[in-house]
Amino acid sequence: MKRKLSIFLVSILLVGLFAGCSSDSKTSGNGKKDVDLRIWSFTDELKKPIKTFEEKNGVKVELTIVPIADYPTKLKPVLESGVGAPDVFTGEIAFLKQWVDAGYWENLSEKPYNADKLSDKYVPYVFDLGKDKNGDVRALSWQTTPGGIYYKRSIAKEVLGTDDPTQVGEMMSSMDKVFEVADKMKEKGYSMFPDEGAIRWFTQGDNPQPWVNDKNELQLTDEKMEYMDYSKKLRDNQYTALAPEWSPSWFEGMDKPIKVKEGGKEKETQVFSYVLPTWGLHSVLKTNVKESVGDWAVTSGPSPYFWGGTWLGVYNKSDNKELAYKFVKMMTQDDEFLTSWSKETGDVLSYLPVTETIKDDFSDKFLGGQNNYQFFLDQSTKITPGIVTKYDQQLDTLYGNAVQQYVTGKKSKKEAIKEFYQKAQNAYPDIKVPKK
Amino acid sequence: MKNLNRYGYFFIAPFWLVFLVFSIYPVALTFYYSFTNYTGSGEAQLVGLANYKRLLTDTYFVEAFFNTWKIWGVNFVLQMGLALILAMIFSDMRVKLKGIAFFRAIFYLPNLITISSVALLFGILLDWQHGSLNMMLMKLGLISDPINWLNEPTSAQLSISLILTWMWFGHSFIVVMAGVSGISKDYYEAALIDGANRWQTFSKITIPLLKPILLYIMITSLIGGLQLFDLPMLLTDGIGSPDGSLNTMVLYLYNQAFKYNNYGYAAAVAYGLFVITLIFSAFIFKGMYGKERKQPRQV
Repeated sequence: MKRKLSIFLVSILLVGLFAGCSSDSKTSGNGKKDVDLRIWSFTDELKKPIKTFEEKNGVKVELTIVPIADYPTKLKPVLESGVGAPDVFTGEIAFLKQWVDAGYWENLSEKPYNADKLSDKYVPYVFDLGKDKNGDVRALSWQTTPGGIYYKRSIAKEVLGTDDPTQVGEMMSSMDKVFEVADKMKEKGYSMFPDEGAIRWFTQGDNPQPWVNDKNELQLTDEKMEYMDYSKKLRDNQYTALAPEWSPSWFEGMDKPIKVKEGGKEKETQVFSYVLPTWGLHSVLKTNVKESVGDWAVTSGPSPYFWGGTWLGVYNKSDNKELAYKFVKMMTQDDEFLTSWSKETGDVLSYLPVTETIKDDFSDKFLGGQNNYQFFLDQSTKITPGIVTKYDQQLDTLYGNAVQQYVTGKKSKKEAIKEFYQKAQNAYPDIKVPKK
Repeated sequence: MKNLNRYGYFFIAPFWLVFLVFSIYPVALTFYYSFTNYTGSGEAQLVGLANYKRLLTDTYFVEAFFNTWKIWGVNFVLQMGLALILAMIFSDMRVKLKGIAFFRAIFYLPNLITISSVALLFGILLDWQHGSLNMMLMKLGLISDPINWLNEPTSAQLSISLILTWMWFGHSFIVVMAGVSGISKDYYEAALIDGANRWQTFSKITIPLLKPILLYIMITSLIGGLQLFDLPMLLTDGIGSPDGSLNTMVLYLYNQAFKYNNYGYAAAVAYGLFVITLIFSAFIFKGMYGKERKQPRQV
């Protein structure tokens, strides 16, 4: 009796212990029968396309959404082991370069995909980013995410005499010109940018170089160093509203005047412009602006840039590569689907055969009827491909940190750069850092 | 044959299985990685003691070590001071404060808020241009220009210390009170009759008898403090700004592993942290109990 009871209790304990694991494996085991395709992503963006795909092909697709902060850490072990892995998964620009080289994505340059043939159908920099170090295509993207400067028409008219995007863009076509505009803005009590971080996208100037070159050397171009001075100038001349990106005041400044305290005085100022990419319009401005709808426009800054973007590819150990690529194909090459998708969401596509036919009849009420589609497409073709490295995300942060030290007057330019070199070396012992 | 004890192993098996898989295995694996140049994907190559050599000469790790101590130290002194003062007031037989349960709950509340909410809250309170703290100080006329609290190394470290104090003094207070209630009332009554004042009662009766409790708080707080990570990570840019002053040891470890993909080196940092924690825990233990053994108690 005692013995039986013991065995019973022990088995309860053990069952309890493995309950978590077993129920998990059950669902994934069943999943193999019920679900034809499994997709992982970090936003719910793919929900609608998946529904279309299911209806078109009569299959069942399971979408797993993992928040971006956990996405790489959750996906990596799954891809390494192949257990419970997706057939298709997306990648964000922040870790894209690392992933295309890690070999998790199927080589799309090979048969039967032959993705190389598609090269001239895409915005060059977008297609280029999906290639690994050997030049093989690993991931494709349906969108392009170039940026511009969103500004308020009413302020432009008052201060600059025009609200026409082309003319305003012309007035900001170099950093010196930007400062001229900033000066005019200040005279009338407006702030050019929310804060000096806004111009970081123009650091490349007209000399775009990768952070780390082929010889594994860290490159801090003269243009990038000049950016330090530009930032300091913005701060010292009080051209900004001192509202750091993503801070509550940064959002507030989009719609109404914000208070700035400097030099013992408090003033109220309106922010003239925000430096944001394509998605900034839909998921930042439109969601935060209520009163000034229609008073906005977008134009180009001193140099073209892009910010963000999502790529997708087929997992190389997937059992269902054919269907997986079918989905990738629909997302990136299907004329009919992409046309309706683009019209619905306003997403700027990187697939040129579709954009050519739809770009002319776009207009956005938020931007006072401007055709932002055309504008962004023009911008995207001006972006130099091949300058993104796997180091970018972290080196940008470290450099931004150094710039901040200089702007706030904590360090001299030389000291700040020296510290940047030290920190870069510490983070990436393999790269060669100039000894200064 | 006596096999009475055999079932015992089955009973402890679940714990051991979990312990092996989720504790021993990662600890051992980390030890292995600390001798490699593992980058998070692909194969790990053995590099001998290179990571540990680097650790000993790494100025950023040393900086992180002192930052962690500064932030934890200030927090600990304030937190214990506050907890003890409150314990003294609430345990005073002459005052007999009412509503201790209520205050206990109030003091403990900050500890229940998730760190990310705390960070968000203080991020807004301490904001440079629009923070409530600066607005209040300016209204009172104490400062003419807003202070950028999280942009000055000293004030940023102090901010973290104070937030930690605010979060943890209630916890310490409860533990101290539990200890105090375990002390026999006889001592206090005797002290009262002998005419001891409050401070004498506190320093000669409460503190000595609380020694094991204080040791417990100190060690757990030290271990927690040396692992300080979440607040510095969330309050500024996550790499220790301003000027590296919020770069704590675990934050450094995290950045090396998950931002820079130097998993091998990060594993070495983890073991460095382990050794440091071990040494300091041993010190506290010795300091607290070592003396007692030398001087046998007089009855």
